[in-house]
Amino acid sequence: MIIDNIMAAGVAVFHLHNLVLMLIGVLFGIIAGAIPGFTVTMAVVLTLPFTFGMPPVTGLSTMLGVYVGGLSGGLISGMLMGIPGTPASVATTFDGFPAVRNGKAGLALGLGIWSSFFGGLIGACVLATLAPTIASIGLEFQPWALFSLIIFALTITASLAGDNMIKGLIAGNFGLLFAAMGSEEINGVDRLYFGIDSLSGGFAYLPVLIGLFAFSQLLSDVEDPKVAKAPLMEKTATAVKIEHWNAVKAIATRWVNVIRSSAIGVFIGVLPAAGSSISNILAYDQAKKASKHPERFGTGEIDGIIAPEAANNATAGGALTTMMALGIPGSPLCAIMLGALLIHNVVPSPLFITEQPVLAYSIFTAFFVAHFMMIGMQALALKAFIRITRIPMYTMAAVILVYCAIGTFALNNNSFDMWTLFWFGLLGYLMKKFDFPLAPVILGVVLGDIAELNLNRAWTISSDVTLFVTQPWSLFFLLLAAFSIGFPWYQKHRSTQTWTLTFVPAMLVALSVPMFMMGTHVRTGIGVVMVALALWMLWRAHQNGWTPSRASAAEHKVHIEPA
Amino acid sequence: MKSLNKDAVIAVLLCVIAALFYWETYYIPVYEYASIGSEIWPRVILVPLLALCVAYFVQSIKKGKTEGGGISGIGDFFRTYQNPILSFVVFFIFLLTLDYLGMLIGGVLLVFTLLTVLGYKTPKALLIHAAIAIVTVGAVWSLFTFVLQVYLPEGELLRLY
Repeated sequence: MIIDNIMAAGVAVFHLHNLVLMLIGVLFGIIAGAIPGFTVTMAVVLTLPFTFGMPPVTGLSTMLGVYVGGLSGGLISGMLMGIPGTPASVATTFDGFPAVRNGKAGLALGLGIWSSFFGGLIGACVLATLAPTIASIGLEFQPWALFSLIIFALTITASLAGDNMIKGLIAGNFGLLFAAMGSEEINGVDRLYFGIDSLSGGFAYLPVLIGLFAFSQLLSDVEDPKVAKAPLMEKTATAVKIEHWNAVKAIATRWVNVIRSSAIGVFIGVLPAAGSSISNILAYDQAKKASKHPERFGTGEIDGIIAPEAANNATAGGALTTMMALGIPGSPLCAIMLGALLIHNVVPSPLFITEQPVLAYSIFTAFFVAHFMMIGMQALALKAFIRITRIPMYTMAAVILVYCAIGTFALNNNSFDMWTLFWFGLLGYLMKKFDFPLAPVILGVVLGDIAELNLNRAWTISSDVTLFVTQPWSLFFLLLAAFSIGFPWYQKHRSTQTWTLTFVPAMLVALSVPMFMMGTHVRTGIGVVMVALALWMLWRAHQNGWTPSRASAAEHKVHIEPA
Repeated sequence: MKSLNKDAVIAVLLCVIAALFYWETYYIPVYEYASIGSEIWPRVILVPLLALCVAYFVQSIKKGKTEGGGISGIGDFFRTYQNPILSFVVFFIFLLTLDYLGMLIGGVLLVFTLLTVLGYKTPKALLIHAAIAIVTVGAVWSLFTFVLQVYLPEGELLRLY
């Protein structure tokens, strides 16, 4: 059965028309990812309107091409100029740029590209194997658990905003509120439209996303008149010959780093809200700690290039896993991918892989194939990138702004959507100015209807609110939500205050409770392991005299940014 | 009385917005057949939202008055945010005139105006801006109209379909 689905997916993905569009998507993604200020999210957003008329497999394959290309493209400018093209490539510059300055540009680019490739393949394997398993677990979720899962997604997104957690939670609630405006699905009631007829239908969420991310980003890019008039990059890059073979040989001898970094990437990707902007830094940090020569990091060390690039591409596999298995987008980028699926009348949920196996396996296959294309297109993209960097930012911004408007109109052939784009662009810009994170609003807008639907279902089945804490999966997610709210304090004080030593053990013990409640042997075993791990951590802390680890807190600080 | 800092002002504004939304929930029709009324979910969102806005207000008051951001007066504000403000204004006018100009003419004018407002204003630059506007908008308009069969707003000025 699985073989049949893979074969059918292969036929769809390897269609010539599909492959050509994917190649274009990958090329566009790499170039977009390479340009600082032009995020992968924006590249995917701009691609979306062009995919409306395409069959679902073709449209989604093209967008996956842009996604994969974009994640890899950031390394070009990061290495050649020292300016990361995307937040996903921040750590790549730490050693990539020094390596280029040391005259190893060809090898450094090769390392980055092939690490992205291997990381992406590991992510693709996890996606193909883990997504059906998580989906089967997802089938156990009752409405209470699905509602609690959304609460967790929102709280962890807000908590990753660091010191601005209250702002993150406010942003998330406003996202839910925007989703609640207009026509309500369950009872068919128009609500919260303040008597304005055009608001009675509510907001289509893609114009909201495009406004919040693309529109506001473009305006931020042209804010400084001098910067707006200058070329995209003042320094000029020169084309270099990528040393593919030497890079592959170097990576082969450092396969542990590749596996570890990819595992970090996948894990971060699976978590709601955390994305490649976090995983690349964590993977770099771990590679440095595991290295026999940590002092070489920052001077062009090979492991320092491999780790972030393997991690950021692997993150995509993890994020797609959560989205496809549970219908919960792990990042704003996945929220847009979710939008693309909805446009093609595909609703990701735990039943998605079972009900639409060919499409699901097409996504797995396209994600896999896009990485091979990424390798092939890098040389061409490098040449194009060098030409594009001569264009001033204001030219790019003006053209992209009108593309956003056209693309937004094309979503529903509706002029109101362009007004939505405008107002949410303004809102997004103001939010950035006042340090409100955008990601929680996005997740709130995307998940609002699902949250309400599940709350309604739960209430229809039983008005007993204790079911939210007596249903094991619901309790599991609520506990995660509670600990995610405490996470910023833990992160802030972990190197200075004693109580932080009990945070993780307390979380493990608390999470073991729903595991025991589930009752099966495997989950009881997991619960036992969690308790044992918590006790071991406490014992180790006791042995160390309850002295917090002095590992630099700054090294571990994470801050969510649009992918 | 100490003057409020920027965050405190925003917190008050957000409280007012949340309160307005809460008030609006009383205008949502209630049907007997519904297991949960349509007004419940917005209130489930708004109650914690109001609490968070109050917490944000308290936090910002505790933080005290922030250091000056370097902007003094409306003139300075406009100079600092000149490009975003002008971009919003131009885009707003584009939307207002869309029914009359249509996407093709409106889009070309939007790109040309934005390029001129944000970029150089020499005769040579204006010519380049015009060329960029016509080529980029024309290409995308053609792609949507002839390839993707998406008919963009044509406007009263130029009837094309």
